[in-house]
Amino acid sequence: MTIAVLVVLIAPLLAGGLSLVVHRSAWLHGINLTSIGALVTAETVLTHTVLSDGPVTTLGELVYLDALSTFILFIIGVVGLACSFYMRSYMDEQVARGVIAPGRLNLFFFLFHMFLLAMVVATVANSVGVQWVAIEATTLATTFLIAFWKRRESLEAGWKYLILCSVGISLALFGVVLLYYSSLHVLSDASQGLNVTALLPVADRLNPHVLKLAFIFILVGYGTKVGLVPMHSWLPDAYTEAPAPVVAMLAGVLEVVAAYAILRVRVIVDHAVPFAFAGELLALLGFASLVTAAFFILIQHNYKRLFAYSSIEHMGIAMIGFGIGGPLGTFGGLFHLMNHALAKSMAFFAAGNIHRRFRTVEIEHVQGLAMAQPWTATALMISGLALSALPPFAAFASEVQILTALASQGVPGMEFAGTSGMVTVAVSDQFSRVALASVFLIAAVLSFGGLLYRITGMVWGTPSEGIVRGEPWTLGHLPIILLTVALIGFSMFLPQPIKELLEQATSILVIQ
Amino acid sequence: MQGLSSVGSQLVDLCSALLLLTCFAIVAQRRLSACVDLFALQSSFLVVTATLVAYLTGNQHIYIAAGLTGVIKVLIIPRVLKKVIDHLNVKRELVMHVNVPTGLLICGGLVMLAFFIAQPILPLGSLLTRDSLAIALAIVLIGLFTMIARQKAVSQLVGFLVLENGLFLGATAATHGMPLIVELGVFFDVLIATLIAGIYTNRLQDAFDSVDTDRLTVLKE
Repeated sequence: MTIAVLVVLIAPLLAGGLSLVVHRSAWLHGINLTSIGALVTAETVLTHTVLSDGPVTTLGELVYLDALSTFILFIIGVVGLACSFYMRSYMDEQVARGVIAPGRLNLFFFLFHMFLLAMVVATVANSVGVQWVAIEATTLATTFLIAFWKRRESLEAGWKYLILCSVGISLALFGVVLLYYSSLHVLSDASQGLNVTALLPVADRLNPHVLKLAFIFILVGYGTKVGLVPMHSWLPDAYTEAPAPVVAMLAGVLEVVAAYAILRVRVIVDHAVPFAFAGELLALLGFASLVTAAFFILIQHNYKRLFAYSSIEHMGIAMIGFGIGGPLGTFGGLFHLMNHALAKSMAFFAAGNIHRRFRTVEIEHVQGLAMAQPWTATALMISGLALSALPPFAAFASEVQILTALASQGVPGMEFAGTSGMVTVAVSDQFSRVALASVFLIAAVLSFGGLLYRITGMVWGTPSEGIVRGEPWTLGHLPIILLTVALIGFSMFLPQPIKELLEQATSILVIQ
Repeated sequence: MQGLSSVGSQLVDLCSALLLLTCFAIVAQRRLSACVDLFALQSSFLVVTATLVAYLTGNQHIYIAAGLTGVIKVLIIPRVLKKVIDHLNVKRELVMHVNVPTGLLICGGLVMLAFFIAQPILPLGSLLTRDSLAIALAIVLIGLFTMIARQKAVSQLVGFLVLENGLFLGATAATHGMPLIVELGVFFDVLIATLIAGIYTNRLQDAFDSVDTDRLTVLKE
């Protein structure tokens, strides 16, 4: 048990250290695949243990693993593995082409492993403070990955990302300080004051005023990392400029980890403060993200930005799910996080392939993808359909769950003059539910139309002169196939362990 | 003991107020190197505050945090920033988004806002450091404002560090320091963040021939 936890933590650390001293490309990839393989294996063991024996606390109370954190680890493992396979062909081509000097390849891998390590630490940490340190570390590890091409645009994107996320995260730290402040009066041992295991049993005795303030700071802070509107402005730039495997990790995993950090605190807050408080705030940011992103998807002419805004949209949808709460909304939200992570990493793999062939990010200049790169075209279509939440993809199921919860329960606090006074909607309960559900549907349909229209335009037609046709098989295609299987498969048949994880994670988040 | 704690509490209040005062000085200062000096001064006030709290409450681990603040924020970071400024071609803020008098007025408003927000939760704190939490929040807000109002990457960085100082004051004063492992992690992150931002500033200077973040407008809708 402890060994599996140690493997999860040490594998990326060791791989990062080794990457600094090794220079051969084949070795770097080998180290990467070995470490991510070890991580996934250990993760499987942990899933099994957590499902059979319940939550685990180990390493002197520093590590706490329950179904929720194991579920997040599962997403990190799957997307990380897919990325590692993709990197094998992607990075080698960039080196061969001279975009990356061979000497800088190990720097890329070092930062990649540190990024992975920081996310794992943020997920398994028992202390909310350690979690904060780890999430700030993800910012520091990824800022140079985003600016890795060293062009003017990428420097700008990297700087924006560093400053906006660091400030956001600092606000979250103030929230963590406040959380600690509230626990001091209740807990006898101050050194435990930030541990989830210590806070949860006494959560209902914490001071509600302090917790409310703490939650607002933490939501705004980590919300910046999730990319929720109005703190999202770094996200489209960073996603356009960063190398494709990095974006796949940012969109697929980092957003999920940041959302997880919000959820962890939310459970504690919910014990002391009326449930509607946090739910309303989450739903408010969720709706703002969904509607804004739907608008920007419609007017988008750059395919990487298109996917970036689609990320904002989907995180908004998940937040609405968490905001509604209850078993249905929460389950839908968690399930949506996973579906989005799989579909979005695949979309960015496809986008990376297109960019390498067509050398442009403008949608207008990409045509005839089906002839030029049949594999990539298929991947783009599949991920596009999945992101539009069409059946038979799993995202359809999770969106329907959230919509059902919205129409049947409504957002707590939004249907009457809000308990916290944040939103004063003095209309009847039923009307507001119908109105919110309509907004949700309209925004979802708009982004669905916008996304599919742009993508089909890229896939059909004839490629312009000078574009090489045909696509040789590489290792980079393996994750695309596996993700396709998962995306379609999960909607029809959710494997038993994943289903149990999801259900147990939901029951952790829902307070009876 | 009663007398000691009341004197102590006043001393802590005095130091926190001095921290707030240096914030205003930073907002009013146009020369980049002077901003960095003021930041170093503010950090040394922070060291004094933390040492006082450590002495008065008897929490040994705050001494460690105070020492680290001294080394990192008074010595290392200002030196790094000075090096960065030496590399720049412009040493002053020429154009500010908000001029100095307006900026000072806005900061005054932010202080009132901070006290207003913190009012309901202050009675929970210990007598010694009760008002420091509100002052800490005010410093955080002013740091945030500096980042928005200034143009040069270096002064934005100073704004970020001021914000971080406010957070540290909040953690020390309100909660008598967070668990040691968390504080060490926070120091580590701040140090690395500053180094990374310093490297960025140099790269921006080379690529754009300027560190005006207003020039960073290639990426937009």
